Amino acid sequence: MGASTLSRRRRGAHAAVTVRRRERWKWPVVAGMALISASALFPLYFLVSNALRTNADYAGAKVGLPTTFSAGALERAWEGASVPTYLRNSLIIVVGTVILSVLVATFAAYSFSKLRWTARGKAYLLVLVWIAVPPLILLVPLYVQMVELGLFDTYWSVILIYTAVNLPFNTYLMTAYFRSLPDELAEAARLEGASVHQILSRVLLPLARPALATLVIFNFLWVWNEFIFALLLLPSDETKTLTVGVLQLQGRFNLDPTALMAGLLIATLPVVGVYLVFQRYLVRAVAAGIGR
Amino acid sequence: MANRDRLWGVVYALPALALVLAFIAYPLSSVVYHAFTAWDGINPPEWVGLENFSTLLEDPLFRTSLRNNVLFALSVPIQVTVPMLLAWLIYERVPGWRFFRSTFFLPAVISTVVVGIVAQVVFRLDGPLNALLGSVGLGALQSDWLGSANTSIPAVLLVVVWANFGYNTLIYLAGMSALDPALREAARMDGARPLRVLFSVIAPNLKRVMELVLVTSTVTAFAFMFAYIYVITNGGPGFDTYVTEFMIYKQAFALGRTGYACAIGLVLVVITAGIGFLQIRVLTRSPGI
Repeated sequence: MGASTLSRRRRGAHAAVTVRRRERWKWPVVAGMALISASALFPLYFLVSNALRTNADYAGAKVGLPTTFSAGALERAWEGASVPTYLRNSLIIVVGTVILSVLVATFAAYSFSKLRWTARGKAYLLVLVWIAVPPLILLVPLYVQMVELGLFDTYWSVILIYTAVNLPFNTYLMTAYFRSLPDELAEAARLEGASVHQILSRVLLPLARPALATLVIFNFLWVWNEFIFALLLLPSDETKTLTVGVLQLQGRFNLDPTALMAGLLIATLPVVGVYLVFQRYLVRAVAAGIGR
Repeated sequence: MANRDRLWGVVYALPALALVLAFIAYPLSSVVYHAFTAWDGINPPEWVGLENFSTLLEDPLFRTSLRNNVLFALSVPIQVTVPMLLAWLIYERVPGWRFFRSTFFLPAVISTVVVGIVAQVVFRLDGPLNALLGSVGLGALQSDWLGSANTSIPAVLLVVVWANFGYNTLIYLAGMSALDPALREAARMDGARPLRVLFSVIAPNLKRVMELVLVTSTVTAFAFMFAYIYVITNGGPGFDTYVTEFMIYKQAFALGRTGYACAIGLVLVVITAGIGFLQIRVLTRSPGI
């Protein structure tokens, strides 16, 4: 008994030392993390501060705060990158791709996780196996294919390509999430007479909100930011995306750096907004996605 | 009931199968075929057997490109360890953890175009980095960062690591959030120091997550570098920062050597397929598959 009291006391002392030690290393570590946070915020600061100043002011001081305020750069970027048209194109493509991706991946995941059929393991692999194919190597054949299908320079060309190249990962994520939901749920609904479709729409989907949110955010970000396929497949002003539009402002950098920054800022704000809205779902759904 | 599953199982899987077959498998088969042809992308391709591949072996540009991919892959250890440490600090609720969790993911949110152009401006000879170095008395370190291969590859590498650490941190956080909190508490009670808790308790239980991050970071170094190179250096100075993907793009779209580009593409697919095979094994090793 005496020994156990002693050991408990010693343990208490040890814990106190640990806490003190923890305190000591904590503040430098927090300072380091704050520095990393600052670097993560830097591009936004850089864009905002330079988009709102004049070119002369930018040339004078590149790091410090602006000494002038001017919305001129925003106006020039808005027109130079034809923002209203390109923004519309980007939104149509993003929304179209996200809807199609979520639908197709959810259907496939439902089939691969909850419906019993003979070749489902093989079919699942057949969807998954393309996960490491670099999309860039498909650029030439997809270009030819889209011309042949008559889809070149239409929204559909990139919507179909984006959906396909992200489908392996999307399907994987949804399947893992559905598998983490107990089979008894579907079984109980089935006994109560729910159809195959009702089990998906009324039982599984309401529970899959974190996974759906993750699909929406990952695909939104990826599609919004993609520019190689968009650059080559959507050359005309009527179909060009905003990311490609601001990329082309880069050529004017030497003449008008602040307009470039303003264009980049306009193209960045929507994704930051979407991230802020959906971020609370991220950790939970990724946790399910990595099968834990 | 089983019959119903059989029918609808196929029907529900069909759109996904159709899309990957039509827009990944089919174009991939076209790459494989054209790798053995001389083709300019316009006129009919002409079968040349293995000629593209023997050209490839002798091509110094291909060697440079592949070497650069390998150089970028050297950052993988950093990409695996630093995010784990950061995720663990957030998991340990250090002061400000909510703020850190929100901001760390921002670089992954911002478009590569934006990241790339900002990086290019920052690294310019007359850019903010050199201005900063000058103003703190380190003018001797000023350099045209993207102007020579010695500094441009590390500069791009830094940007890629920075752009991806938020993703990896998020994946680790997700893994940790699913750990049994009792594990950590027990180790704590025994008086283990925080770093020991990380190495002896947390890390061993996150082996699968570490494997996942390892594989995806390696794939990125070989298969997802194009956007960074295109925007930040455009392959330059000279050909110094070419990566395999960038070479494929240039051969196909600037030089009209489409058959040759397909051959390079085929080699790249073989490399990434090897890594991807590992990735699928890591992804599907969870119980119940």
